[in-house]
Amino acid sequence: MSAPVNVALNSRGKLASSLPAHQRAEIAELFEFRRAGYSLDAPFYTDRSIFNIDMEAIFGQHWIYAASVAELPEPGDYVTVDYGPYSLIVLRNDDGDVNVLHNVCRHRGARVLTEAAGSTGNLVCGYHSWTYSPSGDLIHASAPGETKFDKGCFGLKRAHSRMVAGLIFVCIADEPPADFDETSKIFEPYLAPHDLSKTKIAYQQNIIEEGNWKLVMENNRECYHCDGHPELACSLFPTWGLTDGVIPPHLEEVWDRNKEAQSSLEERCRRYGLPYEVVEELDTRVAGIRISRESLDGEGESFSPDGRRLSKKLLGDLRDFRLGRCSMHLQPNSWFHFQGDHVITFAVFPVNEHQTLVRTTWLVADDAEEGVDYDLEKLTYTWKQTNLQDKAFVELCQKGASSPAYEPGPYMKSEYQVEAFINWYVQRVQEHLA
Amino acid sequence: MIELLTETAISEPSRIRGLEMPWNRVMGSTEGPAGAARALGPWHPQEFMAECVETVPEAGGMMTFVFRRCDGAPLAFRAGQYVNIAFPVNGEDQDPVDRSYSLSSSPTQPWTFNITVKSDPAGLVSPWVHENVKPGMVLDMLGPVGAFHLPDADRRARYLLLAAGAGITPIMSMVRTIHSLPGQADVVVLYHGAEAGGYAFHQELAYIASVDSRVKVFYSLGNRSKPEGWEWLSGRLTAAMIDQVAPDANGRQVYACGPEGYLNTAAELLKKVGVDDTSINMEFFSGDRQTLLEYQEELALAADIAEEIAEEIADSAQDYYESQPTAFGLYEPGYDAEGTLTATGLPLETVDPDAPRSEDGSSGVGEEPGSSDASSFDTVGTGSLTLSFMRTGINVRVDPDEHILEVAQRAGVRIGANCKEGMCGSCKVVKLSGEVEMNHQGGIRAREIDAGKFLPCCSTARTDMVIDA
Repeated sequence: MSAPVNVALNSRGKLASSLPAHQRAEIAELFEFRRAGYSLDAPFYTDRSIFNIDMEAIFGQHWIYAASVAELPEPGDYVTVDYGPYSLIVLRNDDGDVNVLHNVCRHRGARVLTEAAGSTGNLVCGYHSWTYSPSGDLIHASAPGETKFDKGCFGLKRAHSRMVAGLIFVCIADEPPADFDETSKIFEPYLAPHDLSKTKIAYQQNIIEEGNWKLVMENNRECYHCDGHPELACSLFPTWGLTDGVIPPHLEEVWDRNKEAQSSLEERCRRYGLPYEVVEELDTRVAGIRISRESLDGEGESFSPDGRRLSKKLLGDLRDFRLGRCSMHLQPNSWFHFQGDHVITFAVFPVNEHQTLVRTTWLVADDAEEGVDYDLEKLTYTWKQTNLQDKAFVELCQKGASSPAYEPGPYMKSEYQVEAFINWYVQRVQEHLA
Repeated sequence: MIELLTETAISEPSRIRGLEMPWNRVMGSTEGPAGAARALGPWHPQEFMAECVETVPEAGGMMTFVFRRCDGAPLAFRAGQYVNIAFPVNGEDQDPVDRSYSLSSSPTQPWTFNITVKSDPAGLVSPWVHENVKPGMVLDMLGPVGAFHLPDADRRARYLLLAAGAGITPIMSMVRTIHSLPGQADVVVLYHGAEAGGYAFHQELAYIASVDSRVKVFYSLGNRSKPEGWEWLSGRLTAAMIDQVAPDANGRQVYACGPEGYLNTAAELLKKVGVDDTSINMEFFSGDRQTLLEYQEELALAADIAEEIAEEIADSAQDYYESQPTAFGLYEPGYDAEGTLTATGLPLETVDPDAPRSEDGSSGVGEEPGSSDASSFDTVGTGSLTLSFMRTGINVRVDPDEHILEVAQRAGVRIGANCKEGMCGSCKVVKLSGEVEMNHQGGIRAREIDAGKFLPCCSTARTDMVIDA
């Protein structure tokens, strides 16, 4: 009897790579010649091969944001998360922890759970009723006459997960990047006081944007375009992203108002022991992050036209509604706004090179009553409008990138975070291709 | 040997989250010992007689009158409410004069209750009360009345209590109540008075503030000149003063009680410091015509309710008391150390007996599917119990030791199944009535069981059953 050697089990039946070597080299070259400070070349937004590389090098290797604990409050609750070719089951187990499983039956590959969210005991594939325990072990497969069938070999594939401050992250790499734990330590103290475990979903919106996922992320990292967001402009100071010295004359008054609001917010944060300092490591670490607590215009409480609260129930043990927005951006696929009265999470799931699912979730205190403590229309208005406007911007860019006349243009000073995102992306892919 | 009192650092007490009134838990329970305490629930106003048992002079020309009900029942109310009392000011043979007074005691000590009355020399009733109400006097009362009170349950329990002069009485009830209860709370009292020696309850307030870390008390001396040695605030209520005593006023529920002018100012200032309208609760101790009319309406309503309830109790006291928690719908159980017991997340799984069927008519036996009359179904099999399968339209007789799935399938009921060991959950169905004994292996969630589902593959019937299959 001879045993096969040097063949890793999981390489069985796989093509050596999703791309031919010469094409891989060609792509590596594109990354090599990326002009810093400029938007990416068109194929990065339009080419299927580069999308495949993105799935492999970014979404296949890094920690990505999947859902919040409010989406699966009880044992047995699950959400399925799809991106590129992947589908994952994120399942709350009986210990209150989370199991992440590949949503691919080990019999003949059928999707095991077909709903976007739900509640289940064991997981049963609808095709031949192969039944898995919540931790993914195959516990039942009817096998009349089978003598050598070993259930132990056919559990659902597992992925890594982390729950930090009520946010659930997943990583499908065999060995996830180690510095995510350090990044968690940065953001956990900012978010924990809002206590996501005591929140519920007020509304969730799924939008498919006709644009590459990178355009979605780029668009979110600058407010240079914020003139296009009249509703958001009531809350965000139009000076966002600017610094002393580059304030145009017509915004000086706003800048002063912004600074004053910020300093009183900081005083309040110090009083309650809430961190507010800007931590910006968007491209200086593998699990890139930007987090801060910043003032909102008007009453400074929430994303409403006058800055007043949109839900009357304070989150967690917060003592004050006037806490501005604690905003976090995490590479590669999420951003968040935590206010005193509600939280908005944004998750970006690539569908293919020209389509992206943007999932926005509004969370309020779990004892807040719709119609009494909050008005759903008012709660969601600003970001629903903003999302639609952003969708349109992203789609304009996608169209542009598809034009033969497109060539990369320069990111402006106020767009330094876009550059940081692209720089992060290029580094990560290059490391992977190396 | 002389023992010296020294200051030793003692750590904060460990408390459950939030504040919950004791009757909230009582009303949530349907059986057992707690049910007996239902009489303590403040569910409705009543007309009753009460006997004065004690009078206690207070600072600031006020007097506390302690009462107990003549019928021996406790007085159930919420901290902040008032009673309406008929005083025979013009003698026993004349019509009495009604006046409303806030209860100043805590409903957690319900066997006696207090009102605290400031004597207004120009008034008709209050001087008479001070002069004449003595232990032994019995008075007619109506109560409790009023929407100005602490919530029954509040996991945040952050309060700013504003009082001016005699406005301290309902506020005092709130402070005493919170002090007597377990739970996390954060209470700031700001008490305006006209003269340094005129703050009723100041010794007790100082004591509570000194032993209860949840309560902070501040005094302000209105616009009078400060006497020597006055260490508290001075001046009328201002936004700066609110900010000073409660910089997080914006995140608190505010209860304010006092004269009209004071409350109108307070409303404006509170708005200025960012307190939401819906977080402001006020009780006027003197008011314009409009306010007084509102109080009269409130009282009239209370009297109507009292009469109605009295009639119902007279008809059938048993029925009445048993129907309480649901009839009023005011009470929700649900607090533990972590706060509310049930997180109201997305609707997850509901039982819908009218859900679209995958098959129509199925086995063709008996009635059309959805027919609700099992007595017209054919009956098959033998056994001591009857299972009615509503969609299939058949009655199946079984013995208590038979697994329901096998018998049902044999009788032609279409229930999909796979593992037959209670593991895969494929055979899950809804039971409309009856009891089963189920030995599942993880194929069904507790929540699903609560929602009436079961796995017939691993269940036996304990009673006759009606099953949605």
